[in-house]
Amino acid sequence: MVYLTLQKAQKFLAASQQARKTAVHVLEKSAPKETVTSSFASFIHGVRPEHLSTVVRHRSKRMILDSIGVGLVGSTTRVFNIALQYCQELYSSNPISSVYGRKGLKLSPTLAAFANGVAAHSMDFDDTWHPATHPSGAVLPALLSASQMLPAGSKPSGADFLVAFNVGIEVQGRLMHFSNEAHNIPKRFHPPSVVGTMGSAAATAKLLSLNESQCAHALAIAASLAGAPMANAATQVKPLHIGNAACLGFQAALLAARGMEASPFILDDIPGCAGFNVFYGDYQPKPLALPANNHKFLLEKQDIAFKRFPAHLGMHWVVDAALSVRNMFVNYYHSFSPSLIRAIVLRIPVSKYINRPFPESEHEARHSFQFNACTALLDGEVGISSYTDSSIHRHELMELLAKVVVEHPEDNVANFDKMYGEVALILENGDVLTGRCDTFYGHWRKPLSRESLLKKFRSNASYVFPENQVNTIITTVENMEDLPDSSQLASSL
Amino acid sequence: MWAKTITGNFAGMIHGLNASQLTDQVLQRSKRMILDTLGVGLLGSSTEVCHRVIHYSKIYSANTSSTVWGHSDVRLPPLYAAFANGVAVHSMDFDDTWHPATHPSGTVLPSLVALSGTLSEKKKFSGLDLLLAFNVGIEVQGRLLRFSSEAHNIPKRFHPPSVVGTMGSAAAVAKLLAFDQFKCKEALAIAASYAGAPMANAATQTKPLHIGNAARHGLEAACLASLGLQGNKQILDMESGLGAFFGDYTPQDLPPLQSYSWLLDQQDVAIKRFPAHLGTHWVADAASSVRKHLVGSDDTLPVSKIKKITLKVPEAQYVNRSFPNSEHEARHSLQFAACTALLDGSISVQSFNHQNIFRPELKELLCKTQVEHPSDNKPSFESLYCEVSITLQDGDVFSERCDTFYGHWRKPLTKEDLEKKFRSNASGVLSLEATEGIIETVNHLEEVEDCVVLSEFLKGTQ
Repeated sequence: MVYLTLQKAQKFLAASQQARKTAVHVLEKSAPKETVTSSFASFIHGVRPEHLSTVVRHRSKRMILDSIGVGLVGSTTRVFNIALQYCQELYSSNPISSVYGRKGLKLSPTLAAFANGVAAHSMDFDDTWHPATHPSGAVLPALLSASQMLPAGSKPSGADFLVAFNVGIEVQGRLMHFSNEAHNIPKRFHPPSVVGTMGSAAATAKLLSLNESQCAHALAIAASLAGAPMANAATQVKPLHIGNAACLGFQAALLAARGMEASPFILDDIPGCAGFNVFYGDYQPKPLALPANNHKFLLEKQDIAFKRFPAHLGMHWVVDAALSVRNMFVNYYHSFSPSLIRAIVLRIPVSKYINRPFPESEHEARHSFQFNACTALLDGEVGISSYTDSSIHRHELMELLAKVVVEHPEDNVANFDKMYGEVALILENGDVLTGRCDTFYGHWRKPLSRESLLKKFRSNASYVFPENQVNTIITTVENMEDLPDSSQLASSL
Repeated sequence: MWAKTITGNFAGMIHGLNASQLTDQVLQRSKRMILDTLGVGLLGSSTEVCHRVIHYSKIYSANTSSTVWGHSDVRLPPLYAAFANGVAVHSMDFDDTWHPATHPSGTVLPSLVALSGTLSEKKKFSGLDLLLAFNVGIEVQGRLLRFSSEAHNIPKRFHPPSVVGTMGSAAAVAKLLAFDQFKCKEALAIAASYAGAPMANAATQTKPLHIGNAARHGLEAACLASLGLQGNKQILDMESGLGAFFGDYTPQDLPPLQSYSWLLDQQDVAIKRFPAHLGTHWVADAASSVRKHLVGSDDTLPVSKIKKITLKVPEAQYVNRSFPNSEHEARHSLQFAACTALLDGSISVQSFNHQNIFRPELKELLCKTQVEHPSDNKPSFESLYCEVSITLQDGDVFSERCDTFYGHWRKPLTKEDLEKKFRSNASGVLSLEATEGIIETVNHLEEVEDCVVLSEFLKGTQ
């Protein structure tokens, strides 16, 4: 049904393009090849599987696996249920795309992308990059849905899928590099809502084989759908930022496929009339090198961080620091006794939305240095169950939280490449024990081993699937480039 | 009672205002806006951008469905009906404009009509319910725009309907569906995460989507709030909340409910006489006046006798276009407006069709046109002016200036002219009966028992 619509759209597009050629004005000519925007479009359009290096392929498959896992466990959350209920109540036909962990349920493609995107970020368990954003959750759900949308006979192969995925990641990284402000932990716009939407548009434009001009329009239409403010981070709405990025970027590509046109200068810096740069204080765009001219993917030089527990990335430093100081404590005193502690000092970077002394909800708890440090001290580990209501409101935890003091050393920059976490325990007897973490396990400087990554995936996926299905998904993703029909991946979810 | 936060304040207002607080003037003005908006939407329903959008939206069909204005054969889920109709309203830049600058009605009315027109809704909404919700949606937009002094001028960064329009749509829907105060707040918080589109897409085919998206996203935010989704309860208070969209942001409390003063009471909207950016309306009036010095109204302008045309206008990048290349660019070109008005005596819907945009006589005039930005000409719809000067080959110079065009809030359209615009717009798509039916219904909106009649008329006959 959708395919016929797409086909008619393409016929209409072809006919109207013919008509337009006879007019005095031809749109492509008004956007000279040298613009930043057109260089993006050329890249998206021209890149091929053979342009992916081994390292890039390998890293991106890890990302795909992890993203699916967090999406599956995320499909058991309340926020996901609300989003799903919304989708089901309002849209009941044309169901062709799968929803994570809901066997037998299908939604229309962009809605499935929305729901799955929400799932991916529902517990803040998804990957984080530098400059800061959560790249995979905005792209993968859109591609999975899109792969199911295409007709049998034109299904994208696993290799095509991988290229499209990497286009989506790459576009995000490149856009963030246009701004110095983007290198630090964000303050105004939540990055996934800005670059994630663009990445999703680029990735789906790629998978759907849009022509170069359509690729440019997809980006421009997506810019008009991008941008959500940071204030909704640490609330239940935050996961929607990723859901919307996936869904709306996908919609932008679909609109472009049907001939919708927008500004050909959206990524360029035109004084007096803001384009994509509207989301940044400083913006210096540069054209992309074309694939044929040895384009280097950013993922090559800069890996991703995978989270070991479902909380904001900043928490991982303080948790590792807390665990190390806890070890010291236990070595001296044989067990962890909170009553021996007078004060807990956290030395962390300045970032308002993750500095919360007494979080009240699971979403706030995932964005609280204090909460995560204390949980690690109390329990000796942090995991999915650390954020349940009962865990959050434990008496012992509240007592410990009351002892926390926060310091912001000048050298602790709010930047995921440079920050550190220090936890100092000031004991009643006067002793001071300090634990410090510069690079947590899972950070790009100390990436998760294959075993650890698979362990996380299995733990997540087992919430909804039996073991053999979990293993099948692992095998499929690890051998992605050999898959003849990538929609099989989506169907298996 | 007023809450401690501004956000809570807004929620209280949305929740607490009732119909008895609508003044006569507010009633009258808002009904005019509703009528005008319906008309431009009907006219816009036949545009290419609207066809594309409907085509796209057909992907989603469902049991609960709403009318797509002017398309009797299409039913869409309310969200997509709101989207499509919102796009239609702004498709030709023919919809209303307010001060501080935004297009307030197009982001609110489509959502409300979509909801009130769904036959399978258990509840029915009266005309008064619609009017109240409509005004809540407009009011919220006006109040938010006043939190930033940057907003008083013609925009440069974010397209205002995409920012405040989304919030207005969410507020209006929350009102129509009688949300409690908490849900009103959440609707606003969620809507903020959908707001904001950059100016660069103005003067392109995508601009109408800013209004369509504002309508549907506000509606979506409200729906999600009703299902229990929660966001930041201080979304309007924080710089990292709605403040993210403004360079300067100073949120303020609303007036007390008991003696509420509506912004629409103090500040009317401008209604356009032809489908183009508001700035072009000053230019057109000045150009038509100066034309009278050269020729009689039925005569042809002697193009070759003109040496130079000078426009004294405020600085506004996105409407400064010497040679527009598309209908969307033509609607956003002060030069195009001046030359068309000089050539034809006035500007109309037809001025933007393909042949007229690319006429050689027009191109000739455009080549002779230049633009100046006097320092006293501020880029604000409240204070800008336009002066058109024509220098002839023989050295004579004729100038005329327009400070307030007919249709501006300082010189509003008469009831007759407003209805004339509506009839002209609607007649291409609706029967005479439906056209008159809508005029009649809107004129007496507060007495209508069930708004579904409006949607019935809007369906059209194709």
